[in-house]
Amino acid sequence: MEVTDAAVVAQVLAGDRDAFRVLVERHSRSIFRVVYRMTGNQQDAEELVQETFLRAYKSLERFELRANFSTWLYRIAVNRTLDFLNARKTQMQNKETYQITDNPDSDEGNQVQLPATAPGPDRLLLSAEMKRRIAGALGLLTPAERVAFTMRHMEGRSIEEISQALNLKVSAAKNSVFRAVQKLRQQLEPYAGPGAPTRTARWGGSAVK
Amino acid sequence: MNHLSEEQIVLHYYGDADGAAEIERHLSSCPECQTEFARIETMLRQIEPLEVPEPAPGFEEKTWLNVRDRLPERGGFLRRNFFSRIFFSKIFGPQQKWAFAGVMALLLAAAFLAGRFWPRPGNPPIANNQENVNPQRIVLVAVGDHLERSQMLLLEIMHNDETGPINFSAEQQLARDLLDDNHLYRVSAQKTGDPQVARLLDDLGRVLAEIANGPAEVSAGDLQRVRHTIQSEGLLFKVRVIESEVNSKARRPEKISAGNVNQRL
Repeated sequence: MEVTDAAVVAQVLAGDRDAFRVLVERHSRSIFRVVYRMTGNQQDAEELVQETFLRAYKSLERFELRANFSTWLYRIAVNRTLDFLNARKTQMQNKETYQITDNPDSDEGNQVQLPATAPGPDRLLLSAEMKRRIAGALGLLTPAERVAFTMRHMEGRSIEEISQALNLKVSAAKNSVFRAVQKLRQQLEPYAGPGAPTRTARWGGSAVK
Repeated sequence: MNHLSEEQIVLHYYGDADGAAEIERHLSSCPECQTEFARIETMLRQIEPLEVPEPAPGFEEKTWLNVRDRLPERGGFLRRNFFSRIFFSKIFGPQQKWAFAGVMALLLAAAFLAGRFWPRPGNPPIANNQENVNPQRIVLVAVGDHLERSQMLLLEIMHNDETGPINFSAEQQLARDLLDDNHLYRVSAQKTGDPQVARLLDDLGRVLAEIANGPAEVSAGDLQRVRHTIQSEGLLFKVRVIESEVNSKARRPEKISAGNVNQRL
């Protein structure tokens, strides 16, 4: 019978540092998947997995043995990733970034900025052009919006889970998801095909109450 | 007739909108909102989850080996967080907490000075047991951990963009916890002659105190003032830099060996 995560944590807390290996082996792959979706970069994701476990080890006393270890670890991973994205954003503001022009023939300044470290998704079923636009649009989100959107849209996490992972109120978590979608719309809808103009100019003051 | 807001439609797409039944009723009778819903739905469906590459074989093993080399020793200061919570919360009130922290700081300083000036016969033995925990390294790790937690709190405040009255009790509680640790580490840094760390902890302490002692519910304006303090002092940047320095020192045990007791924080 497999030893539970809580039992392994207790063993580590009792001084058996090598027992922590069991937790790393059990959870590193799932944490990698989560972090990769948020960063879009394999190397960054691998490093963040290590950072997550390191942080978890340092904070192990704060883990309540009755809680779910993978949920707790997931929150740490999300927080570490958010810190990483924030730090990268700051770094990118001070350093050169790649500039991708929506229309290479145009110099109208219709540009999106992609972090140098964020590659485009490799195997999406969309066209290469759309993939590029989506990557560019995701690159324009704030770190918190990107993490919230990834959790809600790509991982199907609930708003409550997002609010807990990001230490936000439910309303703030909803707002982060909404703002992310709003920004993505602004970037992507002009290229999503023919259709009537959006009502965006009218949104806001006419909500159904 | 009022239409649905963009936010209502987006949240309804994910099943997160308040008043879902009412939104559903409106959608069924409003072609314009139906069109908008379809437009948003189409756009969002184009954004498929990133396919995650499979990590290389042996990924878990590699992760463990990398993590293992960086795991701090358990004990001493690291355990203090766990035990002190119980100890402080069950036995001491707020006043006694400060007194206890002060006494601990003095004891730390006294231990440091005693170790430095106590006459020792002959040559002192070089640390001959790798298993022994170097207290200074533990302090470094603890300070690094403290700065990391503080940074997370500051980041959370800097990125909180709520507009109405904001429930600030969770942040306050965290600030109070950090404040206790902060005082202890600041005194230790002063006594061990590390003015850079001491200054940072001094600045950090003022902001933590402002957060900890404020009202449990704050307005967006109050929050903005706290942000302004954080920004005007460049606190977040300083915390990042010092945390990085402290952590890199903590990862270089050879520089904090028994032969180099004067290694600063």
